[in-house]
Amino acid sequence: MTSPVLAVSDLRAYYRTSAFGVQREVRAVDDVSLAIQPGEIYGLAGESSSGKTTLIKTIANAIQPPLQVLAGSVLFDFAGQRFDIHALRPRELAAIRWKHLSYIMQGSMNVLNPVRRVRQTFVDFAFRHIGRPLPEFLDVVRQHLQRLHLEPQVLEAYPHQLSGGMRQRVTIALATVCRPQFIIADEPTTALDVVVQKGVLGMIHEVQRALGSSILFVTHDMAVHANLSDRLGIMYAGRIVEEGRTADVFRAPRHPYTTHLIGSLPHLGDAAPKQGLPGAPPNLADPPPGCRFHPRCPRASDLCRRDVPALETDASGHRVACFHPATESVAESIS
Amino acid sequence: MKTYPTYILTRLGQFVLVVFIGINIAFIVTHSTPIDPVEQSIAAATQYGSTSPEAIALMRQSLKELYGLQGGLADQYFAFWRRILLGDFGPSLSAFPTPVSVLVGRALPWTAGLLLSSTLLTWVLGNLLGGLAGYYRQSRALRFAGILAMAFHPIPYYVVAFVLLIVFGYLWPILPLSGGYGMNMTRALSWGFIGSVALHSILPVLSLALVGLGGWFMGMRSLVSNIVTEDYVAYAELGGVKRSRILASYVMRNALVPQVTGLAMSLGAIFNGAIITEQVFGYPGVGTLLVSAVYAGDYSLVLGITTVSIVAVSLAVLLIDLCYPLIDPRVRAR
Repeated sequence: MTSPVLAVSDLRAYYRTSAFGVQREVRAVDDVSLAIQPGEIYGLAGESSSGKTTLIKTIANAIQPPLQVLAGSVLFDFAGQRFDIHALRPRELAAIRWKHLSYIMQGSMNVLNPVRRVRQTFVDFAFRHIGRPLPEFLDVVRQHLQRLHLEPQVLEAYPHQLSGGMRQRVTIALATVCRPQFIIADEPTTALDVVVQKGVLGMIHEVQRALGSSILFVTHDMAVHANLSDRLGIMYAGRIVEEGRTADVFRAPRHPYTTHLIGSLPHLGDAAPKQGLPGAPPNLADPPPGCRFHPRCPRASDLCRRDVPALETDASGHRVACFHPATESVAESIS
Repeated sequence: MKTYPTYILTRLGQFVLVVFIGINIAFIVTHSTPIDPVEQSIAAATQYGSTSPEAIALMRQSLKELYGLQGGLADQYFAFWRRILLGDFGPSLSAFPTPVSVLVGRALPWTAGLLLSSTLLTWVLGNLLGGLAGYYRQSRALRFAGILAMAFHPIPYYVVAFVLLIVFGYLWPILPLSGGYGMNMTRALSWGFIGSVALHSILPVLSLALVGLGGWFMGMRSLVSNIVTEDYVAYAELGGVKRSRILASYVMRNALVPQVTGLAMSLGAIFNGAIITEQVFGYPGVGTLLVSAVYAGDYSLVLGITTVSIVAVSLAVLLIDLCYPLIDPRVRAR
């Protein structure tokens, strides 16, 4: 096994506020560890407020108060060099950004500056990394756009002149023009309709194949994960509760929460309406003791109410944090 | 979808329409005042001795011709437009027989120079500081500037102006009290004259800037603190785009769009500002001229100043509107 391009270990990031002497702590990311291999698409799933966005903010070092990193480390391995992203100086960080580490952001509709032409945005983001004179740089950009089946004329357009799907494609081209080793994609297709979504996902897959980059792909949409991710991590209430190869997770989910997430996907020929999971995600300012899923869990026991289950790895590398993980037969009967 | 030339044409049409309506209103207002300039001139000319009735009738006839007051209202209206298009507003009453156009032409550079430059200066400075204050929220110096701007903003303009006059003209007399240039100067393009003009403009410009700065500063600061949370700014920061570039092209550039509209509107207020400023500082501009014209019942001078100010303000707003698509490309498509 090669060394991972991203290694997150025991990461703990809380939102800490204090108003009138009252301390408040929201435990958005609690003891998260994960590793992503070169060339891998790692899917991160979970419902809203499960801490997905906070986790990527921390990984990308886009930390604004009141968010604080309390413990753990985020290590990148770019071109054989190791970078602890929280220990870098601003100048060193700027040198990595976009060259090795780029983003496709949530709400991609608005990530392009409305008063700048697409060409100027490309220059702002990528010119300093390519290291060629401007005309040659623009040739590189045009070739890249053509590879992604985009007309080079989009460079002269303003963002408002492009459709939503087109803008998202331009953003993907922007995020990949420097051939980064690692791309963070935060809900990149959530705002798009399914037809455009399919095209955009195909494009991400294609460019990932061509560049050999790793992608951390975050979405709550399990159907997207089923089609795109190589490996899948399930987040619940600030913790990773299950992780494994995507096919394994879908075929035989071990954690009861994963079972419900997958069970929520519609299948052709479904006769009965889907059952919702009762209850709501816990308040992360005051999470329940023990396993954070136990108030909603059909298999909860006294042990779950008292102790926090550790994320155990089995022989095949599948990880699950549950005292009563499902066996394959149980999982299949529920889904 | 409209193109840029169509945009220019519509704006030009609006400009012509605004000027047309404005001048019509000026015509209606001046023609409904109880002051009859012809009778006033005759009264002024005859108050020191008697003149024969035939001479007065002759005088009335030629004065009516001078002021364009012959015939019915319709005739007068068309004669009025013909003269305006030729740039002829007739002779001034209070400075007979100097033409109004000469008087206005003499005063206009002073007003334009003082108010236009101080408005632009205040706008640029206020937006720059406000933008920096919105972007660098932690900076102590900028926070202090914000408090200062907020403190000065609500003070009535004339109070600030008089306080400045008392402090720098009387208690600590380092700056001239009034006028546009030194009494003993000849109007020539010499360093001495330019220096004197600059020295005389310090207090008026300072008073206008102190009061005007706060509005732009606070407006820009709140605009910027909104724009900082926009996706494209967050994205550029994640992308490692240079901070100076983010501040200039991502934050300030987008915040400037509504501020430019504000500038166009404040240019419209220049002539209001001129009246108070020029009165307080005894500045030889259009404001002073207008006030004395109203006192003297100088009908044609008031009409001339009104017309010129309507055209000037509309022209300034038109120019800004024509630049608008360069600032916000989305306007071009609309």
